Amino acid sequence: MAEPAITNQIRLLRFMAGEMTQAELGARIGLTRQTIAAIEAGKYSPTLEAAFRIAQVFGKPLDAVFQWNG
Amino acid sequence: MFGISNIASSKIDMETVMPFREKLAWLSLGAMVVAYGAYFAVAAQLARSGAATPMTYLALLGAVLGAQALVVIVASIALAIQSGRDSRAPADERDRAIARRGAAFAYFVLLVGMVLVGCVLPFSARGWAIINAGLLALVLAEVVRYGAIVWSYRRGWHG
Repeated sequence: MAEPAITNQIRLLRFMAGEMTQAELGARIGLTRQTIAAIEAGKYSPTLEAAFRIAQVFGKPLDAVFQWNG
Repeated sequence: MFGISNIASSKIDMETVMPFREKLAWLSLGAMVVAYGAYFAVAAQLARSGAATPMTYLALLGAVLGAQALVVIVASIALAIQSGRDSRAPADERDRAIARRGAAFAYFVLLVGMVLVGCVLPFSARGWAIINAGLLALVLAEVVRYGAIVWSYRRGWHG
């Protein structure tokens, strides 16, 4: 399977945020735990709004969380 | 210095747990394939025997619909209990995007099926053959819808 065009650092950022769980992150931005897992695994590209919300939770700019490899 | 691979064993949060809506889609897909597979197998035998009356088909269809509904309702309740909090969570943007994708695929299957049933079949068939063809189009559209949903959950969806 080809590498996803959009990669992300969510797993690393969760770890650095005191081992925040996927469920905790999901609850803060209105996504399910499974959707956070799918985003981390590159199996789902979130909407722009969800991407900004995730970046906001970690206090990072969008491009520190998501990278475009196209 | 640590990398992503080192983090994998930290708090995994049960990443591999199947979403509740995917479980429901699998359940609906399985129930539909089994129920209507049985219906069409028996209906084909009845058609070949030439002994079927409209009441025979109606009774068969009623039995299949009832059995399918019962299985889906009971299994959905069991899945909801087993899934706990996941089953009460509202659909998020991924769930909605996947549902839309399934409906979009199913629409074309239903469209082609209805054109065949409504515009082509009346020239060569009558009665329950047309009704069963219409039912088959509906079932195929639903199978495609649920198939697209489980495929999207399994393989990913970047819509």
